[in-house]
Amino acid sequence: MADKDILLDVQDLSVHFPIEKGILFKRKVGAIRAVDGVSFIVRRGEALGLVGESGCGKSTTAMAIAQLQTVTAGHIFFEGKDLAAMSPEELRRERMNFQIVFQDPYSSLNPRMRAGDLIAEPLRIYARRGIITLSEDEIRKKAASLMDRCGLSSSFADRYPHEFSGGQRQRIGIARALALGPKLILADEPVSALDVSIQSQILNLLKDLQDEFDLTFLFIAHDLAVVEYFCSRIAVMYLGHIVETADAAVLYRQPMHPYSRALLSAVPLPDPRRERKRRRIILQGDVPSPSAARSGCPFADRCPEVMDRCRLEAPQLQMVDEEHEVACFLYASPSGFAL
Amino acid sequence: MNNETILQVQGLMTEFRTERGIVNAVNDVSFSLERGKTLGIVGESGSGKSVTNLSILKLIQYPPGRITAGQVIFKGENMFERSEEEIRTVRGKHISMIFQDPLTSLNPVIKVWYQIAEALRLHHGMRKKEAKAKSIDLLKLIGIPDAEQRADNYPHQFSGGMRQRVMIAMALSCDPEILIADEPTTALDVTIQAQILELIKNLSREKSTSVIMITHDLGVVADMCDSVCVMYAGRIVERAAIDDLFYDPQHPYTRGLLDSIPRIDRAGGSRLHTISGAPPNLIDIPPGCPFQPRCEKAMNICSKQSPPEFIINGDASRTAACWLHAKEYNNG
Repeated sequence: MADKDILLDVQDLSVHFPIEKGILFKRKVGAIRAVDGVSFIVRRGEALGLVGESGCGKSTTAMAIAQLQTVTAGHIFFEGKDLAAMSPEELRRERMNFQIVFQDPYSSLNPRMRAGDLIAEPLRIYARRGIITLSEDEIRKKAASLMDRCGLSSSFADRYPHEFSGGQRQRIGIARALALGPKLILADEPVSALDVSIQSQILNLLKDLQDEFDLTFLFIAHDLAVVEYFCSRIAVMYLGHIVETADAAVLYRQPMHPYSRALLSAVPLPDPRRERKRRRIILQGDVPSPSAARSGCPFADRCPEVMDRCRLEAPQLQMVDEEHEVACFLYASPSGFAL
Repeated sequence: MNNETILQVQGLMTEFRTERGIVNAVNDVSFSLERGKTLGIVGESGSGKSVTNLSILKLIQYPPGRITAGQVIFKGENMFERSEEEIRTVRGKHISMIFQDPLTSLNPVIKVWYQIAEALRLHHGMRKKEAKAKSIDLLKLIGIPDAEQRADNYPHQFSGGMRQRVMIAMALSCDPEILIADEPTTALDVTIQAQILELIKNLSREKSTSVIMITHDLGVVADMCDSVCVMYAGRIVERAAIDDLFYDPQHPYTRGLLDSIPRIDRAGGSRLHTISGAPPNLIDIPPGCPFQPRCEKAMNICSKQSPPEFIINGDASRTAACWLHAKEYNNG
């Protein structure tokens, strides 16, 4: 059934966290709809960027794909196989193919393990279970070569994480994610904890690795400039929904959803002359709580172009152009009901 | 009225004593601020930008921190020669600060209006009722909906953006002459950042408040500032008017920084320029220029002698601390 080109296919994914009351007898009084009906595909070899503000559900989406978060509804197909339907053993084998690079290089590395062991750990676990066959010697060699490849001298293999700077720690995190030879990297804000001059080093490294190892990326970030640099296609999330997906260049030139437009215009450019000329769309108010039940468009409360219809029904993602989907009634077909 | 210097920092040195040695957080920093203008201080983490500004208000805790040299002249008077009591009347009333993290800077068990009113009651001797009314006015000014009701809320009932607005209301409550904003939007999302920056811009324009904007985001600098100081390892490496800095950077660090940021207005795809290595450890700053180990243009002299701030094109407000400008210095 599946297109060979599609590596990851997420269909109607929802992750709700229950809000409970009571101490002894917990009862559910509501739900935080962190991710609410999200569908997208990631093609082999591309880098899909997932952008949005804090609390929009982008990290939860990544954790759900990695099967580290229980899914409320929906399906995740990796190379055509439903991950939720797998036995733990099958899932473990499949996990070799998708690995995560975490945001915080300080808390995501075990402070009591040496850098070389941190990178070798996934290899050791898989070798012990007989999923891969590598001797301890080969594992050590592989870890050393991964360190070199990620810009860390392999002579640092015996050092502990606290002896490294933030950028170097992120390199360890990347080497570790690459150890099992994954096809897909879920990169959850991989550079947002780093200083500007270090950020560009890590972004270049990820780009080189993508070419070298034929990696596919789901790249999550709130920094639009970073996403635009790294990704070929971008999905914009708001309050648990995808509101627009487009080719990176198209989205930046021609954002269609009012939220994407506001988001892009809010990013200050490091160019004072253009900055003086720019008209900024300032959104009113804050992102509403994801626990409130709503029937209309999630962005309706803050949208500068809100219509009556937006408060009554939620717009669905619709193809408006090749590779360009928008969930907004502004672009609905004139007949009114575009479904 | 124009070009009136309101604050002057001269030769400021601040150090911290730690178990591993003395950290020279601020190393001979001088700058001046004009009335109604916005000065940006940019740098990466650990470059000394926050410590510089805490030093201005003598908010450095001793021990471990200590201001070892320099003076801060506010309206003709040296702040460091004043008593603690006198400085307290300056803090909050004449010079106020907005901190980066609005959650830890607000007291969680005190109502929002009461926290804003504190400075009004202290500095202006307002009575409780009067101060509450003024606090509600301030909440309205900064765009909090239903200000009358929200004034009785506690900080946790406010969102991150609203808390930062409250911090701004507190900072502005006494109509300060200088507002020091230390990464005021770093913890916030971009759409909220745009709201907060707009607010600071409008308020400073209306009341001709001078602003010191501390940030690591060059986009924020381009949006907000009239002039900029770039800091690296506790020193100012370049100072310039806003356009000069962006279109004609003179220090290799500034140039590298500008080239290494990905930008939404430029096509992606190509490799980013990088600055190799990492910022130095401030306990053990290499001899000579602190940027020299990472500099593409390092010369022999750079590792031996620390460069002074060279004046560029004869304009005293335009300097670069780099030996590449030594010849220009001799000529001019």
